[in-house]
Amino acid sequence: MTKNVLFKSLLFAASFIVLLICGGIVYALVSGSWEAFSQFGVFQFIFSSDWDPTIGNEHYGALSFIVGTLFTSFLALALCIPFSLPVSLFIGEYFKGKKIANFIGSVIDLLAGIPSIVYGLWGFYTFRGLMVDLHLSSEGFGILTSSVVLAIMIIPYATSLSAEFFKMVPNDLKEGAFSLGATQYDVIRKVSFPMTSSGVFASYILALGRALGETMAVTMLIGNTNLLPTSLTDTGNTMASIIANQFGEADGLKLSSLIAIGLLLFVITAIINLIGRFIMKKFAPTK
Amino acid sequence: MKMKKSNVLLIFAAAAMLISCSGKKSSNTEKIQGAGATFPLPYYTMAFKTYQDSTKTEVTYGGIGSGGGIRSLKDKVVDFAASDAFLSDEEMRSMPAVIHIPTCMGAVVLAYNLKGVSDLKLTGEIIADIYLGKITNWNDQRISSINPGVKLPNLKIVPAYRSDGSGTTFVFSDYLTKVSKDWASKVGAGKSLKWPTGIAAKGNPGVAGIISQTSGSIGYVGSEYAFAQNIAYAQLQNPAGKFIKPTLASISAAADAELPADTRTMITNSSNSKAYPISCFTWLILYKDQDYSNRSESQAKATMQLIDWMLSPAAQSLTTKVNYAPLPASVIENAKKQLSSINFGGKALHK
Amino acid sequence: MTMTIKKIKDRAFFYGVCFFSFLTVVPLVAIIWELVSKGYKQINWSFFTESAPSTFEAMLAKQSGDILPGGIANGITGTLLMVCLAAIIAIPVGIFAGVYLAEKPKSKYAAVIRFIADLLQGTPSIIIGIIAYAWVVKPLGSYSALAGATALMIMMLPLIIRSTEETLKMLPGSLKEAAAALGAPYYTIVLRILLPSAFGGLFTGTLLAVSRVTGETAPLMLTALGSTAINWDVTAPTSAVPLLIWEFYNDPNLADMIWSSSLFLMALILILNLIAKQVAKKWRIQ
Repeated sequence: MTKNVLFKSLLFAASFIVLLICGGIVYALVSGSWEAFSQFGVFQFIFSSDWDPTIGNEHYGALSFIVGTLFTSFLALALCIPFSLPVSLFIGEYFKGKKIANFIGSVIDLLAGIPSIVYGLWGFYTFRGLMVDLHLSSEGFGILTSSVVLAIMIIPYATSLSAEFFKMVPNDLKEGAFSLGATQYDVIRKVSFPMTSSGVFASYILALGRALGETMAVTMLIGNTNLLPTSLTDTGNTMASIIANQFGEADGLKLSSLIAIGLLLFVITAIINLIGRFIMKKFAPTK
Repeated sequence: MKMKKSNVLLIFAAAAMLISCSGKKSSNTEKIQGAGATFPLPYYTMAFKTYQDSTKTEVTYGGIGSGGGIRSLKDKVVDFAASDAFLSDEEMRSMPAVIHIPTCMGAVVLAYNLKGVSDLKLTGEIIADIYLGKITNWNDQRISSINPGVKLPNLKIVPAYRSDGSGTTFVFSDYLTKVSKDWASKVGAGKSLKWPTGIAAKGNPGVAGIISQTSGSIGYVGSEYAFAQNIAYAQLQNPAGKFIKPTLASISAAADAELPADTRTMITNSSNSKAYPISCFTWLILYKDQDYSNRSESQAKATMQLIDWMLSPAAQSLTTKVNYAPLPASVIENAKKQLSSINFGGKALHK
Repeated sequence: MTMTIKKIKDRAFFYGVCFFSFLTVVPLVAIIWELVSKGYKQINWSFFTESAPSTFEAMLAKQSGDILPGGIANGITGTLLMVCLAAIIAIPVGIFAGVYLAEKPKSKYAAVIRFIADLLQGTPSIIIGIIAYAWVVKPLGSYSALAGATALMIMMLPLIIRSTEETLKMLPGSLKEAAAALGAPYYTIVLRILLPSAFGGLFTGTLLAVSRVTGETAPLMLTALGSTAINWDVTAPTSAVPLLIWEFYNDPNLADMIWSSSLFLMALILILNLIAKQVAKKWRIQ
């Protein structure tokens, strides 16, 4: 009995560590951003798109970055899903266990191993030129460029886990459906998807999270103009990128503003997650 | 199942190995840590490695940015900080007394991409107006009038600037503030600015990359980077009216002028007629009183010895090898005087 | 008639999946190929055994047309040190937390923890670096590998926790019931039946987590600082491959090393993947 109790407390302790870490982060973010929020007022800071680091006239507002982050991350996820879902079906359903599935799976996993700074460099030296040649952008920087590279970066997160979940659908369930005359397509729609929807959705949330917090790659490709982007070809900036760009040299009010942006990113991620969970609850069949 | 047991054993073995390794402290070597500016990073890495090889002291340096370096010094997690901008009086009031030791010099050059134009002359006002968006084409009368005989194309000027906070931006904008009233009132000086126009890129390689790929572009780049990459850069007119090409000699010349005793000054737009107008120092900053947070006297001594070595002919001769400019003798003398004011709890530290 | 439409839909879907999979793989292979072609020249024995060259050595080599001397040994050892340290803590904590969440689907506390895990995933790595700076660097009084490992550990947790939880949720409840009916105590059921069955998902999550942190730069800048020497002391500053890549980027003469370093990281992940797949083959119950 005591072994069980010990074990269960270990499990609880593990979960509690997560809570502690989060608490620590929140505390650090809130205390760090106090100066900025008290100077500019919370609402003012969130909704102002003015970012002026001129000494003597400093004014900071987070709106351009908030819009930039949301724009690029959601666009990246939207670009990623039409490719990631087929691939996870390819690996997990159609060619499950076959060599070609292993090969493609390995290629995808390799992508996760490329450092984010290298994605930025590849984007800067190679992909930018491609964007200019395709007349999608004047210099190759901007929302669209960053979103595409972000999409590529998050493919492993969206794909690998989903593929695993598809693999885990019990064979006998599928065979039962087949014997009733279902096509593979039917089986995917009626058996595999419902079973794996929670996991697949969770992997997309994880992929989105990765996109929201991505720093290095975006910072090299987004153009770093601290203005509100109005179209795909515009340059802009994201929250993670401005923090990464300016943190090394920031002090005082500016540092506090950057930490405030970090806190806002934290909050926005939380809100997106809440909305995601709400959607899942609505559309998931009662298990 | 076998898995769990052997896995657990492996984990414990690995942990034990790591912990035992970490217990092993290298024999009698002092370890010095510094952090700060990326501008002198290539030189410092080389210089510190040379110092490490010839003495028993391990030196670590992280190029995390001048601001990061100063923060680390304030938090007392490094022995010295490196910065391209000296601390303001206000900043110095917020910490215990520090000294600034210049270690080498560099410059900000104006690189450009114009086919067929190998020699370009510019003035500070023209540059300011380009970045203010007032001069938009290369064949503008103001540029052609100081470049007789040079065929300037009808091409849009694309100015490039740094997206990351940077000491190079600080030096560049300091110069522009001195030469253009418009710039001073509209934009001012700082490590990051509200740029009226242009494209942003990260780091020297980012700006250099834009210039190499965009015809008609102009951008400011650190001299050590420009010299090593063979990028085309412009001659600038200094206050004496001469057009000076940035060379190691013209950069060092900028320091051969009136300087305050603690070397805390910007030497842009130097009065020296041979000087290149956008030159700068880079400093190492450390506490005057080295007796803080459990520091040992030997640690303080080791730090001082390193900094002293940086001012020696051995170190100064390394600068030119990697396209940085050495300090003129007057500055070295000044710096050494400052270094001698380092003490350990009031007791003077001697070599 | 309906049968043919059904068949058409099925075939169309299949070809669609294949087509999009192909479209996805092509640019990926292009990226990987570019890294290989730009980086293979620098790979030699000294790449793995020597520390990074100075800018001067690189300049000389460039002028004489040689490949750059030296290697990234200081980065390789640093990365291995910090990732191993981070994994030693993150994997057990992550798996146990994931088990906890899977076992308590209705608890409010569990919902909060689940929420936090996803939150951590979206936190920019630089923020986590700032946190680790405050928690480890400041108290210790120095930049250190320990601080770097702390930051990496925090970043690994969400992937491991959520993949563990979601994989366990997909296991048929009959598994647990059968074991319980046989009189197995709780901890045995979890450790010897549930976790091994969930091995595939667990391993994928862990691998993704390790892959991610191996390539992170920003948090390490604020915690491990970097070093020119090979360092095994966890309380001292350490280099790492992504940190070296950052240094190479900022140096005019060392840019060539960027590609070979990335190639190394990619190869490292590939090897980890292959090992993982071998292990998974052996110990999977399915």
